Amino acid sequence: MRLAMEASAENVPLARQAVTGFCEAAAVPRQVLDDTRLAVTEACTNVLVHAYLPDTAERPLEVEASIADGALELVVRDAGRGMGVFSDSGGLGLGIPLITALATSVSIRAGRGGRGTEVVMRFDTTGESSA
Amino acid sequence: VADDQITVDRVDSVAVVAMAGDHDVFTAPELRAAVNRPLERSNAVVVDLTNASFIDSSILAVLLGGLRRARETDVGFGLVLDRERTSAVLRILEVTGLVPVFPIHATVGEAVASAAAGENGDGGPRS
Repeated sequence: MRLAMEASAENVPLARQAVTGFCEAAAVPRQVLDDTRLAVTEACTNVLVHAYLPDTAERPLEVEASIADGALELVVRDAGRGMGVFSDSGGLGLGIPLITALATSVSIRAGRGGRGTEVVMRFDTTGESSA
Repeated sequence: VADDQITVDRVDSVAVVAMAGDHDVFTAPELRAAVNRPLERSNAVVVDLTNASFIDSSILAVLLGGLRRARETDVGFGLVLDRERTSAVLRILEVTGLVPVFPIHATVGEAVASAAAGENGDGGPRS
């Protein structure tokens, strides 16, 4: 499943619904589904809040979901200003800590061509959780 | 989605903010307004999460902001959530360690009585 959209508040629920639909079709267990819904929401919100400066016209947000070898992989990708320490969000700063607590493994890296950020989250669909 | 709603009712002097469905960064501004409006008038607030199917850290930020404001102004604040029932809402509160921070009640009636009495959990977490 791959969804490309604009990074906006109204698209965060859409991204979550798309991932939910993918997981339900793949019969992912309920608790893993719940954790996946929260993780993808937090990752998309991070893109919304951090990736783009307010005057940026193009604000792509991509969400991919796939399953291989009993593991669900979610990728949330932007083409923004890259990872850094931002103190301008006014949020709790809980997004990445939550994702780290919920997923079996997380990697955060620069996007293709060094542009933007990719958050890759893996979840064990056998029902085990790291939290 | 039509099922994702925030409604505000008044029970005595307490504002009961009921959340149904999924809530995140998209609905956080609406929740912030619903929670802050009564607090600005020094009215106690109860947020009923019984029918909420999902909340994220944007919603937690609003709830924590409301709790802080209630404590600063010494008015009641509480949440309604069935802690015996496994849910996505309970899950985020547990993962973030925030369960002991909020006064959590099983029913709206209990929460309203507690908030009307000015309770907001200040003075230490309780079970």
